[in-house]
Amino acid sequence: MSGEEGVKFPLSEAFSFSLESIKRRFGRALVTMASIVLGISFLTFLLTTGRIVSVLYGEGSGVAVQFYQLWMAVIALLICSVGIVNSMLMSVTERYKEIGTMKCLGAMNTHVLEIFLIEALLLGLIGGLIGAVAGWTIATVWQAFTQASPVNIFMVSASLWTEFNASNPLLLLANPLIDIALSVVIALLAALAPAYIAAKLSPTEALRYEV
Amino acid sequence: MALRYEYAVETEDLAKYYVMGPVTVRALDGVSVKIRRSEYLSIMGPSGSGKTTFFNMVGGLDRPTRGKVFIDEVDIASLDAYELAWLRAKKIGYIFQTFNLIPVLTALENVTLPMVFTGVEREERLRRAREMLTRVGLGERLDHKPGELSGGQQQRVAIARALVNDPVIVLADEPTGNLDLHTGLEIINLLKTLNTEKKVTIINATHDLKMIDVSDRIFWLRDGKIERIETRAEVAVKEIE
Repeated sequence: MSGEEGVKFPLSEAFSFSLESIKRRFGRALVTMASIVLGISFLTFLLTTGRIVSVLYGEGSGVAVQFYQLWMAVIALLICSVGIVNSMLMSVTERYKEIGTMKCLGAMNTHVLEIFLIEALLLGLIGGLIGAVAGWTIATVWQAFTQASPVNIFMVSASLWTEFNASNPLLLLANPLIDIALSVVIALLAALAPAYIAAKLSPTEALRYEV
Repeated sequence: MALRYEYAVETEDLAKYYVMGPVTVRALDGVSVKIRRSEYLSIMGPSGSGKTTFFNMVGGLDRPTRGKVFIDEVDIASLDAYELAWLRAKKIGYIFQTFNLIPVLTALENVTLPMVFTGVEREERLRRAREMLTRVGLGERLDHKPGELSGGQQQRVAIARALVNDPVIVLADEPTGNLDLHTGLEIINLLKTLNTEKKVTIINATHDLKMIDVSDRIFWLRDGKIERIETRAEVAVKEIE
């Protein structure tokens, strides 16, 4: 076989393939995205509320409060990850047969992996964006209505977006932008394992697979 | 291609064993055959005789336990992942009993897919896919998804997809298995026409006896071994007797 021969699948092609796949399976994508949106909005909501309350009543409200908030954040993160892992797992396994077909047509393992990771990246980004904005908005509006000084609360809450103090994990996580990044990372990690397994299957195994 | 090899496919002592607990199933047990260029070949035998295993080995979809497969005189076991993908994309076209079209893509998009991997330009891809679909009689149904097509029409899309990259070999695994008698016959005739027109080697794994009428040769497979090889004429003579 001569040098110029060889399968091609440029990143632009993989990107448009992933985008089309999300569009065509919009219902499926919505379900996956919903779990990301819910998880991330829950996380952002808790952390934003925590920040506002901390600032209002002073940081000195005690180690117990700090600890309690961190604990809540960890639980929120876990719940959100489990949801995302579950829906990513589903969306990969239900397409085993398609993966087998693609491999018969010349797709290599890395191409299959690329398609699924780009999809996860897009879903994580869009879901994270909606989730973080929603969680932050609900927390801010809620607090503004129930507390004394709405302007003050909005100022505190708005400042969270530019908070990049890495020394305090609670403060950093309270930045909705960090939550969006987290959403992308979790979605990618969640898709990586099933996509890797699927990509490594021989075409016959993938085609035989029944969901 | 400068060189035209006489044989499109050669196998040497090809075997595939599956170990299932204490039992070793000899799905394919030492098959050595030579398949000529532009031959229309049928591999016949009861279910479980090893037809599909043969299909998978020759197609480079699974690795044999023992023996070798040569496609265009290249031992496919010597290919790396990159070259193997090229073989599947360019040299072999696959047709399945269950069609295996991508359900979210239209007929036209399904046919363009193999050309994505061989690096054909977008415009050229669409032009060739349209031409190929028209050739198999689906020029009016380009934008239909597989779910909106009948079984026979879906198999025509699959045939167009298998042939669009001008492969050396088309491998078909029970192509008429999910079709009624009449539609099955149409598909067989379409395959035969394309075989004559494009000089492409067609290898069918089948137990559809209608296939005999168009086959140049028939390999009878039983328990993973070649029982006998007959030409169409020999089968016809037997029928008269």
